[in-house]
Amino acid sequence: MAALGVLDGANLNGGQKLAVKYFTVAFILFGAQILFGLLAGLQYLNPDFLFGVLDFSVNRMVHINALVVWLLFGFIGSVYWLLEDEAGSPVVGIKLGNLIFWIFTLAVAAVVVVYLVVQIGPGEKSSIWLINEGREYIEAPRWADIGIVVCVLVFFFNVVATFTKGRYTGIGGVLVLDLVALAGLYLAGMFYTPNISVDQFWWWWVIHLWVEATWEVMVGCLMAYALIKTLGVRRKIVETWLYIEVALMFGSGILGLGHHYFWIGTPEYWFTIGGFFSALEPIPLVAMVVHAVFDSGAHKMKNNNHPVLGWTIAHAFGNFFGAGVWGFMHTLPQINLFTHGTQWTPSHGHLAFFGAYATIVIAFFYLAMQKWRGNVWMSGNMAGDWKWKWSLALLHIGMIGMVMGMLVAGYQQSFIERAIEGSTWMGYFTAQAHPWFLQGMWWRQIFGWVFAAGYVLLAWDLLTIGKRETRPIAVLHGDASPATA
Amino acid sequence: MIEPVAMANFFTVFFSAASVIVFGALYALLFAYARLHRRPRMMVLTYAAYLGLFAAVLTLAFAANLFSNGFWTLIVLLMLVGYLLAPHAIWYLCVGTHADGHDTGEGVTAETSPVKVYQQR
Repeated sequence: MAALGVLDGANLNGGQKLAVKYFTVAFILFGAQILFGLLAGLQYLNPDFLFGVLDFSVNRMVHINALVVWLLFGFIGSVYWLLEDEAGSPVVGIKLGNLIFWIFTLAVAAVVVVYLVVQIGPGEKSSIWLINEGREYIEAPRWADIGIVVCVLVFFFNVVATFTKGRYTGIGGVLVLDLVALAGLYLAGMFYTPNISVDQFWWWWVIHLWVEATWEVMVGCLMAYALIKTLGVRRKIVETWLYIEVALMFGSGILGLGHHYFWIGTPEYWFTIGGFFSALEPIPLVAMVVHAVFDSGAHKMKNNNHPVLGWTIAHAFGNFFGAGVWGFMHTLPQINLFTHGTQWTPSHGHLAFFGAYATIVIAFFYLAMQKWRGNVWMSGNMAGDWKWKWSLALLHIGMIGMVMGMLVAGYQQSFIERAIEGSTWMGYFTAQAHPWFLQGMWWRQIFGWVFAAGYVLLAWDLLTIGKRETRPIAVLHGDASPATA
Repeated sequence: MIEPVAMANFFTVFFSAASVIVFGALYALLFAYARLHRRPRMMVLTYAAYLGLFAAVLTLAFAANLFSNGFWTLIVLLMLVGYLLAPHAIWYLCVGTHADGHDTGEGVTAETSPVKVYQQR
C-alpha cells in the first residue's frame, strides 16, 4: 500500500484498475452529454443556431446516446470494482477485459464521429449497418450493435468465471442473473422490421426493460455493496433486502412495460396491464422509505465516506421523486393521452435518470477515489469538503430547475397542442410559440448552465479529494468484511 | 376502455396523482418513525397522512374518470389497500431481517434498537 493521499495503482486490485478506466471514460461521456444537451437547449431558443453545421436532431441524439453509454460504462466499471472483493478471487480473463475496454471505447468514439460527420443523407441498408440504425435512443449502427453484444459477453464471461472460480455471494448471484437479462434484452432492439408498431413493440423491450428492470436490479446490487462498505451494514441483511427489492421491482416493473404500449398500435388490453402495473410501481418506493427510516435508526448514519453516503441519499430521493412522483403524475392512459411526447416526458426522464442512476455511479466514483488514494479518511472534517457538497448542490439545483422548466412547458403543450388543437401540426407550432413554453425553455437553459457548473466542480473534487489527507479510513462497527465462503 | 380526462380536470389529475405518491411516502415515513421511536401518538399523524392519500386517490379517480369502468374501480381499491398495508408488511420484513444476529453498532443500544422496540410493543 502506497502513502496515504497519493493516487497509486498499487492500492487497487486488477478488477479495480480496469474499473478506473471505465469510470474515466464514463465521466468524460457525462461531460459530453451535458455539452450536447446545452447545445440542443440553445437550439430550442434560437432554431438557427448551428443549423446545417450541427443540427438539433444530431445534438439530441448524441446527448441521449451519451447518457446511455456513460451510465453503461459506469455500471460496468462498478461491477469490475466490486468483483474481486465479492468473489474473493482475481478477475478471470482480465487481459481480455482490458482489450475489450479499449475496443469498446474506440467503437463509441467512432460511432460519435460518424454521427457528427454524416448528419444527413438517404436511409439505406448500408446506412443502417454503417451510420445510424434510426431507432431513437439506440441509434448505434448495426456493426456497433454487434460490437456492444460482444463486449457485454466478454464482460459477462469475466464476471461469471470470477464468481465461479471464487465464491458466489448473494450480490454475485443476483448480478450474474441480471447480466443475462441485460445482454439478452439488447438483442430485441437489433432486428429490422418495416412495421413501425412491431418495431416499437420490441424496441421498448430494450428501453423499458433495460431501464426499469435490469438497470434497477444492477443498481440494487451496487447499492448493496456500497452500503456494506460505507455504513458497515451486515451482509446478511443487505442481501435479504436485495432479494425483496428484486422481487418487488420485477413484480411491478416488467409488466409496467404496458404504459409504453398505450399509443403505438398495440391491442387495447395494454391499457389494462399498463394502468394496473403503473399503479403498483410506486409501492417499492414506499417500501424503500420504511426501510430507510428503519436502517437510519439502526446505524445512525455512521459511515466512512461522506460523499458516497451523500450521493446514496440523493439516489433514494431522486429515485422517489423522479421515477415515483414525476412518473405517476402522467402515467395513467386517461391523462397520458395528452402528455406523451410533450416536455412532460423529458421532465420525468431527466429527474428519473439522474436520481436513479447517475447518483449511484457518482457514488462509486467517490468509492474508487478513496481506495485509489490508499483508503484515506473521507468522513467528517475532510480538507476541501465544500467541493463535494457544492457540486452535489449545484447538480441538484440545476437538475431540479431544468425539470421544473420542462414541466411548465409540457403542461402548456398538453393543453394547447393536445387538448385544444388535437395534436395537429398547427397545434404543435402554436404550443411551441406560446410564452409559457418559451419561458420554460429559457429556465431549462439557465439551469443547464448551473448543472454544467456542478459538473466542473465535481471533476475538480474527484481529482483532488483526499489529496492532502493523512488520516486512514474511519473504522466502522458491524460486519463490513467480504462475504464468507 | 378509457375515458380521457376533461381539459378542466388536467391540473386536478396532475396534482392529485403527485399527492398520491407524496402522501404515500409521508404515511410510510411517519409509520416507520412512530414505531422506531415508540411514539404511539404519532400514529394519529400517520393515519392522517393516510387519509390525505385516501382523499388524493379518490380525487384522482373522479377527475380521471376511473369510476366509469369496473376494472379501473378495482385499481382504485387496490391502490387504497396496497398503500395501507405495504408499510406494515415492510416493517414486518425489516424486523425479521434484523432480528437474527442484529448488529448493535455505535449509537444503537439494546434500548433503541428497532428490534428491541418492536419486541417491546
